[in-house]
Amino acid sequence: MATLRDVRRKIGSIQSTQTITRTMRMVSASKLRRAQEQLDKIKGYALNLDELLKRVAARLPEGSHPLLTPREEVRNVLLFPIASDRGLSGAFNLNISTRVDNFIRENKQTYDKIGVYLVGRKIRDYLRKRRIQTTKELMDIKTISDDLVQGIAGDLINLYLEGEFDRIYLIYTQFKSPIKQEVIFEEFIPVKVPQTEETIDYLYEPGKEEIIERLVPHYVSTKIFYALTQSQTSEHAARMAAMENATSNCGEMINYLTLVYNKTRQESITAEMMDIVGGAEALQGE
Amino acid sequence: MAKMHLEIVTPERVMFSEDVDMIEAQGTLGEFGILPGHVTFLTTIEPGEVRIFNDGQARFLSTGGGFAEVVNDKVTLLLSSGESPEEIDVARAYRAKERAEEALRDLGFEDRDYRLLELALFRAIARIGVASRKRL
Repeated sequence: MATLRDVRRKIGSIQSTQTITRTMRMVSASKLRRAQEQLDKIKGYALNLDELLKRVAARLPEGSHPLLTPREEVRNVLLFPIASDRGLSGAFNLNISTRVDNFIRENKQTYDKIGVYLVGRKIRDYLRKRRIQTTKELMDIKTISDDLVQGIAGDLINLYLEGEFDRIYLIYTQFKSPIKQEVIFEEFIPVKVPQTEETIDYLYEPGKEEIIERLVPHYVSTKIFYALTQSQTSEHAARMAAMENATSNCGEMINYLTLVYNKTRQESITAEMMDIVGGAEALQGE
Repeated sequence: MAKMHLEIVTPERVMFSEDVDMIEAQGTLGEFGILPGHVTFLTTIEPGEVRIFNDGQARFLSTGGGFAEVVNDKVTLLLSSGESPEEIDVARAYRAKERAEEALRDLGFEDRDYRLLELALFRAIARIGVASRKRL
């Protein structure tokens, strides 16, 4: 049975853990607020650009831009998952990793090659443990800069255009609310444009082709920027929730242990009293 | 007089959302102006100046380029960046201009970075130009 001292030590250790988780929760909360602001800013732009591309590309004849044209034979696919470098964020990284892992296991026979172009140390470790080959690994992303996004966009577009891969999937966590985040698994390149009837006949300047030529790569890089921002916001939200849970679990544990502590203390006092009473009675008996 | 609605959106923010009389900007084929009743129109915008006229007042913005769309008297400018004269750091723009000029001098046309540096130079020139409008 645990002695008094053991219980007390345990309570102390849990208390200091609780301090840490509480602090981490607060740090995540403030980071989340900042990330959310950034997300709101880029959201308007990304949605507008999305709409524009839809309106312009819906009327395009097939095969007018390589990034808009699906290939007939899809033999090699590339996964582009976005996770994070650090853990202690609940199932955030695991959700992304298992989706990638499942996709690879289920489609091993379907495709000749499945590549992974990943962002985040955690998912790299996960895949490495399972001996899954990766194409490129990006880590230590602190701020989402323009250069970074352009670099990724250039890489992905080249991998597609050079025929290395016939389709690219984007996997990221979408931020719905501080308590709800959702993993999105979608076809990214070739860019899918829904065919709508409702289109506008523009006067194009310079020409339609030139505009598409500029619009599509810009769309790709904006989407990457958007997905990275979504993912970062979700990470902070997930960590905040995880730390909130941890803090309240610590509280429960402390309550329980305090109960145990008091009970043990009382027991030892009672035992001591019994001793004394027993001793006194023995003396009286003489 | 009829007006049209102008919305300027950058990755940073929604910069502008108001009814205006006229807009002028630098298109890929040269300068263009948009008045109410303009035909549906789509063009690319080059780094330079965007001028907005409303009730006899002119406002100026510098931009790093983007797209302009006109549909039914609704004008949407999707710009990679946009700044009003008050926001421009002129000293920084001059430094950027010098840096770009310096680097361009040693590069040939066919160099991969040439286009990028050229764009940076245009952006800096646009900023300086717009910033000087402040005193007009």
